[in-house]
Amino acid sequence: MSGLAAPPPATQRGTAWACVALGGGLLLHVDRVPVWASLTCAALIAWRLLIAPRGRWLPGRVARAVLALGMAAVVLARFHTLNGLAAGTTLLILMAALKLLETRTLRDELVLTGAGLFLLLAACLDRQGLPRAPLYALQAWACCAAVAALATPTLPARAALALAARSLLLAAPLGLALFLFFPRLPGSFWAIPRGNVALTGLSESMTPGNISQLVADYSVAMRVQFEGPRPAGPLYWRGPVLHGFDGRTWRRSDSAFQARTALQFLGAPVRYRVALEPTHRRYWFALDTPAQSPAARVFLTYDYQLLSADPVNETARYQGVSYLQTRAAAALGTLSRREDTALPAAGNPRTRALAQALREQAGSDAALVEAALDYLRRGGFVYSLEPQPLGPDAVDDFLFRTHEGFCEHYAAAFVTLMRAAQLPAHVVTGYLGGEWNPIGEFLEVRQADAHAWAEVWLEGRGWTRIDPTAVVAPERLRRGVLELLPNAFSASERLLYQSAWLSGLLQRWEAASAWWSDHVVKFNYDSQLELLQRLGVRTPDARDLGWAFTAALLGWLGLVAWHFNRRIRQAARLDPLARAYLRLCRKLARAGATRPAHLGPLDYAQQVGRQRPDLAAAVQALCQQYARLRYGAAAPARAQVEEFARAVGRLRTARA
Amino acid sequence: MAAGALGLPQPLGALRQRVRARMARWVRERQGEDQLPARLERRRLYILPTRGGVAFGTLLLVMLLAGLNYANSLALLLTFLLAAFVLVVMQQCHRNLLGVSVVALEAPAVFAQRPATLLVRLGNPDARARLALEAQLEGGERVRADLAAAASAQLALSLPPQRRGVVPLERVRISTAHPYALFRAWTWVHAPLELIVYPAPLGALPMPLHGAARGAARLRAGAGVDEWLGLRPFRDGDSPRQVDWKAYAREAPLLVKEYQAAAADLRVFDFARVALAGTEARLSQLARWVVDAEAGGEPYSLVLPQVTVPADRGPQHRHRCLALLARFEAGGATARSA
Repeated sequence: MSGLAAPPPATQRGTAWACVALGGGLLLHVDRVPVWASLTCAALIAWRLLIAPRGRWLPGRVARAVLALGMAAVVLARFHTLNGLAAGTTLLILMAALKLLETRTLRDELVLTGAGLFLLLAACLDRQGLPRAPLYALQAWACCAAVAALATPTLPARAALALAARSLLLAAPLGLALFLFFPRLPGSFWAIPRGNVALTGLSESMTPGNISQLVADYSVAMRVQFEGPRPAGPLYWRGPVLHGFDGRTWRRSDSAFQARTALQFLGAPVRYRVALEPTHRRYWFALDTPAQSPAARVFLTYDYQLLSADPVNETARYQGVSYLQTRAAAALGTLSRREDTALPAAGNPRTRALAQALREQAGSDAALVEAALDYLRRGGFVYSLEPQPLGPDAVDDFLFRTHEGFCEHYAAAFVTLMRAAQLPAHVVTGYLGGEWNPIGEFLEVRQADAHAWAEVWLEGRGWTRIDPTAVVAPERLRRGVLELLPNAFSASERLLYQSAWLSGLLQRWEAASAWWSDHVVKFNYDSQLELLQRLGVRTPDARDLGWAFTAALLGWLGLVAWHFNRRIRQAARLDPLARAYLRLCRKLARAGATRPAHLGPLDYAQQVGRQRPDLAAAVQALCQQYARLRYGAAAPARAQVEEFARAVGRLRTARA
Repeated sequence: MAAGALGLPQPLGALRQRVRARMARWVRERQGEDQLPARLERRRLYILPTRGGVAFGTLLLVMLLAGLNYANSLALLLTFLLAAFVLVVMQQCHRNLLGVSVVALEAPAVFAQRPATLLVRLGNPDARARLALEAQLEGGERVRADLAAAASAQLALSLPPQRRGVVPLERVRISTAHPYALFRAWTWVHAPLELIVYPAPLGALPMPLHGAARGAARLRAGAGVDEWLGLRPFRDGDSPRQVDWKAYAREAPLLVKEYQAAAADLRVFDFARVALAGTEARLSQLARWVVDAEAGGEPYSLVLPQVTVPADRGPQHRHRCLALLARFEAGGATARSA
């Protein structure tokens, strides 16, 4: 029926609302789409609002078609596709702006508001940071208000905004429940192009220079919460363990199927929960020596690193159990010994000579280690983020010429020395330390905390961590890279991180951001199951989620029904006598004799008598009884009212 | 007609109409006849998404798929917030109509070929405003009104010009899409309502002065200085000159002096004596005379084959005569085709 009527024409007011929705969508993307696209869209909005408010001075159909094709062509030329998020968003913004030039009907304005919502969706897909959340909420609000204003022409702007706010606030609890319980099965329906995903964090090999790149990266690598007190002392987060060395680059071992070195765990275990940011790589991080694999499809390798079968494409959450002290329970395997004492056939001759000299002086392996560290301590070595470039014999160059380097240089040089002295050693990469956030009570480990250290095999003790960087820059153990390297950050960043008040504020913000990231942005199937577990479901699965989802929906509907009923009950909060009389009226209405609002009980009885002669006598008696009780001289006794109510209950209205 | 306007192929249009007729019968049977004033309660409210609502739902579906595919929680949060919003909107739309009372429906009689209106008076007994309530006749346009708290409003639905006869107005749709127009809640009001369409007052024959109304001796009359009959209570349309102001000044009720009109002044309009061919032309001429006589303040009587209206004047009399003309051969071919 509604289809018969022509759609209502566009109005100035409606166009203005459509512009609000579209403009809001544009603002969300203004720093992502090309400048010319933003300018075009803004210019078209301004034109529509200021120059052509009444729909005059607008381009004709041909001009619009040419414009549309031209814009699509420019987008295609710029992005080489119309498909990706950036290209699609740009195209949507341009086409919506063009649509603004031909808003003839209300429907066109609604389409533009829809475009505003779609741009909001694109923004959600694009960026999920906490600072953007209020912007997204504003845009959702503006779009809903625009729909309200378009739908009801007599609604003033302020009322439309108030209405939309009320509706959205009422919707929020249910929306949240749906969000929490809608089963999110992992995986996607169709492949997402992941062509240019930047790999961040530690790589699986180490060449001098690639850890120092990370120092400038202040983004979060992982967040850790401890069950129980935070362990004292420096925290080493173990990542890729590098065995192979070709004279320049250290690599992970290919012989992944060796037997794990038997260890005896000493002291109390440390239990902690990690939220590891996506790295698109396969390794996970653990504190010191992990005792077990934290998840299925994640392996604890022979050299005690956690290796996942799948790359970490979304935040990985796991519970780790680690020991800070271990002792070897068996001798080192031959394979491991061979692997961890291997050096290239040639190269770094001076290092080899130094190793021989140290070996001859030292009486034991422990003394050898100490002598090597002593060499670094006294050799005039400097901790620097921008060391001079190294020649082909990199370790020689570092140890005997430049004397300056970063953790990776020290670790590499130390392990080379040890191997040249026939002591099994390997490089371990990972993170050192992290910033404790007292508000969120978590440890925040950043990419800037990336570190490399060495492990050597000492008979009787097993793999022992040696951190040669600590010898050169002992402060590194207690403080972040920041304090050690004054030039690593710009002045404003330094100010931010060093002022107590600002860094307190920053920590608060980080805590909020972490909460947002953990509980909203990274909320996934695992988090849902965890939530169910906390709600008391023993072994939650997708079906339980379905139940919870249904329960949330039904609960909300029940709430609405209850709300309605309460209103109706309030309306009918009458004395028992009136309730009984209304019940009588309802009964008779069902029997086909509705009481017109103007009829009193006695007239009504007569009318019922005419309509249903079979009921006449009974209804007559009841109505007279009611009139007597209601309007009689004396207030009705309770028993009388109850008697009347029972009589109403006994009345049978079915036709004989 | 509906099918043509929608551009649907004919069979589909026919099917649509059949379904619609069936629904109408079902609703009519379910709700029964309404006795005004009727308060709209839950049992009789229907609600469905509008086209805009369906489009919004599609948008939500796309958003859901995108959110699931990209495993993007924020997109899903937005989607679910908007989905909950839609449910809230449905409830708000329903509430906007629930409890409205249809106070009165009235279709003032009109002449044929003149635009007619149906007056719908809606009342809002609640303490909250209700915006954008709409009333609509089958196939007609929607007329919209806003009701403030505890206020009422009258909506005038225009009907296309009709032919002479009696047009039954089977049902009126009271609906609202406020807020957001994503849903439309509606109800049907069935009241025993008919629109009386008088014949168009046409024809140029002179008004007959004498009729065969010898028997109509006692007539209440207006003009003239005739024989005194007595006093009677005031009726709408009586001339102030005939009011017995002296009696009124003595705190008596408003009384009117009545006289007996001279027989010569009687206008008798007899269907059989109209010198025109064709029923409609005759009825139009009679209507013309009735209108003119009434305007001239003369009493007149109407004689139709089955019924005779004694001479009188005043709006009620005029309506009675014109309605008889409208119903002439009512139920026959002329009335039904309207």
